[in-house]
Amino acid sequence: MTAAILDGIVLGLQFGILAVGLTLVYGLGGVLNLAYGHMAVVAALVVSLTMEAGLPAAGAVGVGLFAGGLFGLLLNSTLLRAVYRLRGEARVLLSLLLTLGVAFVVDGLLLWRYPTEALSLHIGGDAVEILGVPIRSGSLLASGIAFFAFVALFLFFRATTLGKAVRSIIQDEEGARLVGIDPNRMRTLILVLSGMLAGLVAVTRSMTSPVTVTQGISFTIFALIVTVVGGLGSVAGAFLAGILLGIVNTVSSFYIGTFLTYIILLGAAALTILLRPSGLLGVPE
Amino acid sequence: MRLTRGTGTSFVGGAERHASRSLVGLFVPVAAIGAVLALVPIWLGDSRLMMGLAIGGLLFGCYAIAFNIIFGSTGQLFLSVGALAGIGGYGAALLGDRVGLPLIASVIVATLAAGLAGGVLSWIAVRRSLDVIFTGIVTLIFALAFENLLLGLGGVTGGESGLSVDTGSATFLREQIPPYYLFLGLVLLYLIVHGLLRRSHIGWAFRALRDDEVAAELAGVNVARYRIYGGLIGAAMLGMAGAIYAINEGRISPTTFGFGEVDVVVLVMLAFGGIGTLFGPVLGAVVFTVLDELLIEFGQLRVVAYGALIIVLFLWIPRGVLPTFGSLLRRLVSRRDTRVVDRSGEEGETVDVT
Repeated sequence: MTAAILDGIVLGLQFGILAVGLTLVYGLGGVLNLAYGHMAVVAALVVSLTMEAGLPAAGAVGVGLFAGGLFGLLLNSTLLRAVYRLRGEARVLLSLLLTLGVAFVVDGLLLWRYPTEALSLHIGGDAVEILGVPIRSGSLLASGIAFFAFVALFLFFRATTLGKAVRSIIQDEEGARLVGIDPNRMRTLILVLSGMLAGLVAVTRSMTSPVTVTQGISFTIFALIVTVVGGLGSVAGAFLAGILLGIVNTVSSFYIGTFLTYIILLGAAALTILLRPSGLLGVPE
Repeated sequence: MRLTRGTGTSFVGGAERHASRSLVGLFVPVAAIGAVLALVPIWLGDSRLMMGLAIGGLLFGCYAIAFNIIFGSTGQLFLSVGALAGIGGYGAALLGDRVGLPLIASVIVATLAAGLAGGVLSWIAVRRSLDVIFTGIVTLIFALAFENLLLGLGGVTGGESGLSVDTGSATFLREQIPPYYLFLGLVLLYLIVHGLLRRSHIGWAFRALRDDEVAAELAGVNVARYRIYGGLIGAAMLGMAGAIYAINEGRISPTTFGFGEVDVVVLVMLAFGGIGTLFGPVLGAVVFTVLDELLIEFGQLRVVAYGALIIVLFLWIPRGVLPTFGSLLRRLVSRRDTRVVDRSGEEGETVDVT
């Protein structure tokens, strides 16, 4: 049981970071990015290819994160331009449909060109014992990176002017515009950040199990579940929901089974929408 | 084209015109479509493979018409088209094979079950006043849960490898050409049902709530009730098509009703033909079935093409091919003789503020 819970926290931290990338883009731009998981997969592929080209792992990870950010930048400056012209529900709907198209394009291209490519980073070193449970060094490093990323995100949104500007747009776009904040620049920034976070999660996931090119859609779905439970637009909510669902996931797959676990996670998201649509820590409208 | 701010789906649909009440205007085009599609077996009837593809095309035509009633007419984004059809398909197969119900009875019960599921989804969405996106997420969750339930309950559903269906194995449903006509009949039936709906008070309510929900509510339309009608009718149609297909095909698996395999394809077909139009879904289904076969040698690049097509469609012709060409045509005509438009305006037939 302790082992399952610890594993759940390891997984949950990464779920949380994954969800932050999705939830920020939704909160800020009203864009539901269904190609989000594909950003992660593209970043993983770039890391894998640059490592094959002979770059050391750390450098390759840097290139991969850059690729994830670039993906976000491209999306923001092309398709999402049309999306931002609409408002409200229409905007979310168009963004959902367009990014679904992007997901298909990326999926098709990757399976056509790199059908068997997978990224797995091997982290050396012995397992460390925590609470009497041996934890692999890969899991430890992955959690460490994810935790550090959360701390950095919290500091960014609480302490820096830029972070506060982003939050002000999430609260009230018109109001933010009136005090001189340019929503377009903030959206660009957040889309790039979102791509890099997706890439980061792909990298940390690959430290414990291989990330294949077909996993785009499942990354997106996990991010969506955590986002819905945590509350749209809330970083703290994503953190909390990520850890909660991570623990539920590992404990339930250990005791109940994989398929039912997936249904339990989906059920949690459905119940959240029905009982508390704003999520655990989201701001009710 | 007026874009209403209030409703989220108006930018894709909204092309739906005030339908005339004449039944000739419905039955003549339906008969023409039936006559043209009835000729297909003369051309392809020798090949079992080709007939299978043609039947698949008609099946997706049924799906697209049903989804159109839910999404196009009442603005509910159901991302569980495949799952609702799957309730029909697995329901009919299990009721026929395991429970031992006669074929017709199992199809009817499965259809009702799917309709009920759709009605409940609609009811939830309406009661919790979910917007388009949350309706989409909830129904997507339902679809994924259904798929995993099929995989998880391997003892009943055969898991990933699926079920082979014995019900109907000795009937005409397993022959090469007759099932084609059954599905063609189903497509025409669905078109007539949708056409009659549009001409009834339900259709007027659908248009009112789709154009402007608040205004419709103020005008005395019970938006909640008509949304649930839409979900119920559409889902029952999906379930019936799925049930008949399961019995015809003799083999079903989770991918027969998967999200990627059904929902995305139906969405593209409908977007191509024209969301909210009567005949758009059939046009989309025919075009995509042919296109799919033509592009089959390109393998994964076909997926790329579909993705690109989704993007192009929603960026540049979000109303679909049929309405876009229709209004182009009308604009050409009206330039030549503006009085034609004026007169039709007086009759309440076509009022299009461009």
